[in-house]
Amino acid sequence: MNGQTQAPSTKHAPWKDRLIHAGQFVLPFLVIAAVWELIVRVGWVSATALPPPSAILQRAWELCTGEGLLWHHLGQSMVRLSIGYALAMGAGLVFGTILAMNRVLREMFSPVLSLLISVPTIAWVPVFLITLGLGDRTVIAAVFLGGFFAIAYNTIRGIEMVDVNRIRAAQTMGARGIRLFSAVLLPGSSVSVLTGLRLGIGYSWRALVGGEMLSAMVRWGIGKMIYQARFWNDVTVMFVGLMVIGLTGFLLDRLLIRWLERATIERWGMVTER
Amino acid sequence: MRARRFVLPILFVASFLGLWELAAHLGWINASLFAPPSSIARDLVRLHTRKLPERSLLLTHIGASLQRVFLAASLGTVAGVMMGILMGASRLVYRFFDPIITLLMPIPGIAQAPLFIIWLGFGDPTIVTVGAIAAFFPIAFNTAAGVRSADPQIVRAAHIMGVSRAGSLVRVYLPAAGGHIMAGVKLGWARCWRTVIAVEFVAAASWGLGYMIWDASEYIRSGIVYGGILMMMLIYFVLERVLFDGIERLTVRRWGMIRS
Repeated sequence: MNGQTQAPSTKHAPWKDRLIHAGQFVLPFLVIAAVWELIVRVGWVSATALPPPSAILQRAWELCTGEGLLWHHLGQSMVRLSIGYALAMGAGLVFGTILAMNRVLREMFSPVLSLLISVPTIAWVPVFLITLGLGDRTVIAAVFLGGFFAIAYNTIRGIEMVDVNRIRAAQTMGARGIRLFSAVLLPGSSVSVLTGLRLGIGYSWRALVGGEMLSAMVRWGIGKMIYQARFWNDVTVMFVGLMVIGLTGFLLDRLLIRWLERATIERWGMVTER
Repeated sequence: MRARRFVLPILFVASFLGLWELAAHLGWINASLFAPPSSIARDLVRLHTRKLPERSLLLTHIGASLQRVFLAASLGTVAGVMMGILMGASRLVYRFFDPIITLLMPIPGIAQAPLFIIWLGFGDPTIVTVGAIAAFFPIAFNTAAGVRSADPQIVRAAHIMGVSRAGSLVRVYLPAAGGHIMAGVKLGWARCWRTVIAVEFVAAASWGLGYMIWDASEYIRSGIVYGGILMMMLIYFVLERVLFDGIERLTVRRWGMIRS
């Protein structure tokens, strides 16, 4: 976009920049892994309490290959995440839009909404366990709730920031309902909506892990993998699980949301590219 | 105008609760799963009064959680601010820890709990440690961002006027970072509160609001579950509105670090 400012400083190819960037990102982890490995090998801490990185990676490899248990756990988690997040996205956008467009409803709901937001998603899990049972439905409800509030709240904020004259102009020209939403409200509020979607996927992901741990009838899932490892005191599997959770959360945020940003607000020229 | 802002939500909540109560009494919903407001209130009062001469069970649960939150969040704040200053002051430290924080921050506290249960056992040590970690990340992150946002002109000016490196930390960097640190502390404490409740679900020995809710849900005592959530809303409201707004007024606002 603004090639002028970039041109003099970047002499080498962009992929090289990326490689350096990736290297800088990975290096700290390598350093810590090396020190960690050394501490365990020297025998300052016991390898059962703190398994060395080599053992964790080996275990991760075992879980990936063979029966592919890790993929099964992760796959189940992803199915729940997709369903819950998709529901949260739909409901959050609709609810947010309705509230933003209707002042009476907004005044009615917004104090209640801010009160409900203050309750951590995970605290609703016991309620779902009672009302929805101990299985998938509870986990999906937790994922939904995790994403819903962030998406709804930011949608309201985004639409409130859309120029009223634009909305009126569109309405004068006969745009209503879905058409008004997709042509005026959504593009106008998209920066804030994307913030909501981005926060939402993070909250949903965290709620998913917690929900899986607490739902007794759920057998598979990355949260469950960690929880089950407790019964065998299997610290190595716990580390594998935490690693996967951190990495997947990171990738969801970077890949999914970056892709969404590129496809929408950056293409529409609403933010300057970084 | 001002009155209307309160009337509508109160009317809405009141009619919602009324409908809930009615539905439970008429048998439209299962009253043992969806305990109506009246039985939530009764359960809470009973929990408070049952062993009253010695102690209130409800207040003991709440007190246990608050104690853990304060201890954990304080530890997290001290460690986070120190880490943040280091990261803000040194480019190398920042480059080293930024990726680590980015990757570790999204891991929920409840997922870390099993690990710490093995290391530290059930109860306070695990809950406080995981809570402190939860508070640490946003505080370190925001403090670092704040210190890095210090105006280089002012840094140079201070340097020219003979302020030492350590001195400029107190006189230049920290004042510049005040607003950021406050924002980080708020985020950190809120995160710590959420995490402590969540970890209490799986790691508490016998007390704590999270333990209370979890225990009640296992016996399908829905009145206590809903009552516990109500208590959480109340506590959060008090902490945020009274404690944090108060602290903010007394510190960063008074010192002119952020505009009101």
